[in-house]
Amino acid sequence: MSLDAFPWLIGLSTAIFMLGALGVLIRRNPLVVFMSIELMLNAVNLAFVTFGRFLNSEDGQIFAFMVVVVAASEVVVGLALITTVFRTGRDLDVDDLSEMRE
Amino acid sequence: MNALTAIVGVLALISAIGVVSFRSTIYCALSLVTNMVFLAVLFLLLNAQFLAAVQVIIYAGAVMVLFVFIIALLSPRAEDTPRLDLRFLVGLVAVFYVTLQIFFLVGNGSTYQKGAVACTSAAQQQCVKTPLRGAQVGQVSQPQQLSYFPDDVDAAGNVQTVGGQLFTTFLVPFEITSLLLFVAAIGAVYLTRHHLTGARRT
Repeated sequence: MSLDAFPWLIGLSTAIFMLGALGVLIRRNPLVVFMSIELMLNAVNLAFVTFGRFLNSEDGQIFAFMVVVVAASEVVVGLALITTVFRTGRDLDVDDLSEMRE
Repeated sequence: MNALTAIVGVLALISAIGVVSFRSTIYCALSLVTNMVFLAVLFLLLNAQFLAAVQVIIYAGAVMVLFVFIIALLSPRAEDTPRLDLRFLVGLVAVFYVTLQIFFLVGNGSTYQKGAVACTSAAQQQCVKTPLRGAQVGQVSQPQQLSYFPDDVDAAGNVQTVGGQLFTTFLVPFEITSLLLFVAAIGAVYLTRHHLTGARRT
């Protein structure tokens, strides 16, 4: 892969990250909000690997590996929280979760 | 920039848009799986074979199976309309603005030498050893850190190189991630078990 691909790959990574941030902002379903967070983590992984490849370094891949592990444990805890909160038959809507406000 | 990279990149972007815009939750999950598989292909094209396998096995395999399982368990309502208010407008403007800003900032040649041919192996002549400007700064302080050329790593084996570094230079972070996974498993068991005992009491 030639050096010309570098800005395109970083741009793709930024675009996917910003789409994930947009999903966190506009979606109501907590599961989809969680998927958007996964999307952002994936975009960061792509940036890590791209920088590592064009810096002639393997550290980016190792950092991306750590991010994958952290994302896996985050999904386990987050989905356990979502099932605990939403199992009582209420609507899957993050806007309804306002009883902790007061 | 070859054609395969461009096609896979565009498909990854389209599937990322699908995650945000699909109404049905299960379609969002399927779109996310597609996005992760395309990112794994991009990792392969970027000489990160080990990470591509990890991406497919952990993300597209384990994590997304968990997601689909929870979606089936909670059985959300079929339609989930995204907000189309001021937040959506601000977010959409931010998406385009930040993406274009970073694309042109990275592409204007201040971070890398435009038109330069990057070396793919240490023995190669007539090429740039450190294509990114940050690497030139780093090379002054730590020259031995930046010697993993793609062809040399492929000759030695990507899994061998990454695994060797993971168990020597990055041994302590690696052990900490194992502790993190342990704590996450305990936390998940505690959260779900707490709920069950609370329900039995009422």
